[in-house]
Amino acid sequence: MRYRGRPSATVALTAVLLALATCLGYVESVLLPGLPVPGARIGIANIAVLLALVTMGPARAAVVSIGRVVLVGLATGTFAGPAFLLALVGAVAALLAMDAIRRAGERFSVVGWSIAGSAAHVLAQLGLACVVVGSSAPLLMTPLSLGMALLSGIAIGFASRLLLSRIPSLSLSVA
Amino acid sequence: MTRADAMLLAALAAFALAAYPVAAALAGDAASSTAILAGPYGETRIDLDVDALITVEGRGGPVRFEVEDGLIRVVDATCPDGVCVRSGVLAAGAPIVCAPNGVFARMADGRGGDLDAISR
Repeated sequence: MRYRGRPSATVALTAVLLALATCLGYVESVLLPGLPVPGARIGIANIAVLLALVTMGPARAAVVSIGRVVLVGLATGTFAGPAFLLALVGAVAALLAMDAIRRAGERFSVVGWSIAGSAAHVLAQLGLACVVVGSSAPLLMTPLSLGMALLSGIAIGFASRLLLSRIPSLSLSVA
Repeated sequence: MTRADAMLLAALAAFALAAYPVAAALAGDAASSTAILAGPYGETRIDLDVDALITVEGRGGPVRFEVEDGLIRVVDATCPDGVCVRSGVLAAGAPIVCAPNGVFARMADGRGGDLDAISR
């Protein structure tokens, strides 16, 4: 199930996936501008987080996911601002949801983990948006935002599964 | 996709669908000609029958709304990703939210600010 390399190899793989997550997140923000719905994103950076979760477990996945949010926050000058907080809360919620589904056993595939993560991401962001704007108005977006999150979760889940099955050094884990 | 994946997906999709009538009921009056603009420093009611440019001061800077032909939209904002600008014109079921600035716009409904009464 797990990547059983030497500690140095684990550190290297974490760093590669963190770099991948950061690049994918940046590419998405530049080439695929945010959808006009709060919290709704395709979330291709989550592919790297899913790979980390599958191959190295939740602690390394947290380094990749939260590390990416911090790096992007520092790079774009939004660190510690409201946009950063939204990204951080979304990332943490997604990670917790994906890990919870992972722990539920092999009934769920990577696609299920991705769907859970995507839904948790958008719901947490809508919840925080309510706190930030001091109104429950953002919750009105729940049907649309959650519906789009489910579609992107399916897409990212299948993309991750494809990657896991095609990369020999990773494919000793679930695919 | 496993059977469990499909069940999870179905449950979440059912939740999204079930949330729709609730959201629609709270969304304000589609025929209303009044919008409510709210920011961290208070809120204001806007008559959509009068064309205007309105600036709401957000946490990170100004959010500029344009009222034209009975419709209101965000034309400029200081947020990093511009979700509010791309949201287009305000509709009853879809408030415009600029979360980084703590600013949102929604249609008023004849009952007067019920959403705010619940959350504040």
